[in-house]
Amino acid sequence: MFPRTFLTMGILSLFHAAYSAVQHRSYLRITAQEFTTLPLDILLQAIISMFLTMYGILQIAGDFKEIRATVDLESKSWETLRNIPSFYTVNHRGRALSPEFDPASLKSQTQSLSTVSSDAVYS
Amino acid sequence: MSTGRVKTRVQKGEIIAYSESAVRNNAAIVKYCRTSMAALSGSTAGLLGLTGFYGFGFYVFSVLGLWVMLLMKAGTQWQKFFINRRSLLTHDFFGSLFTYVLFWTFLYGMVHVY
Repeated sequence: MFPRTFLTMGILSLFHAAYSAVQHRSYLRITAQEFTTLPLDILLQAIISMFLTMYGILQIAGDFKEIRATVDLESKSWETLRNIPSFYTVNHRGRALSPEFDPASLKSQTQSLSTVSSDAVYS
Repeated sequence: MSTGRVKTRVQKGEIIAYSESAVRNNAAIVKYCRTSMAALSGSTAGLLGLTGFYGFGFYVFSVLGLWVMLLMKAGTQWQKFFINRRSLLTHDFFGSLFTYVLFWTFLYGMVHVY
């Protein structure tokens, strides 16, 4: 992955710059000098690696989407928009067209259903 | 519907419709970049040992840098992705300033104090 390389390199370089800054501070302390600014190379390394990492993050964050609603709707067909799964009907008379359809089984099924319901009523 | 709600705006006499989910998606990406930028530039400022107004100046500099980078990422036609270009620069300015100060003081303490 290319952007991840940018991110890792940038963060490692930032850590390296921080370590260099710590070393510079301890060097100044040993030689009893006053701290004014960091040396130019550490400064440049920190700023450049910051922008490198930011570039990596921008790539990782993802792509922008087109915000105009017409572009979003153009790709969809009428079949997609009117498709409502909650209103699907599976158990309808179309099954009578199937070659394995057996009217007798249907009849016994409805009879058993009706006997069950009548039993439920009379008990 | 999965397309989400649609927001409209009248511009030069014609109505432009915006897809709500797309606007939200772009705003989330920008927010992610902004938070990361605040943390990163705060760390850099602390590392460089900036104090006082130099640190806040560096924050403004990094916000401008992020703005330019976002516009570069959006390409030549930023109108396709954002309603307003200026709000990309100023949105959540003070919110991420707090993140910036947090990382700034932390890294300053780590590098320059201890």
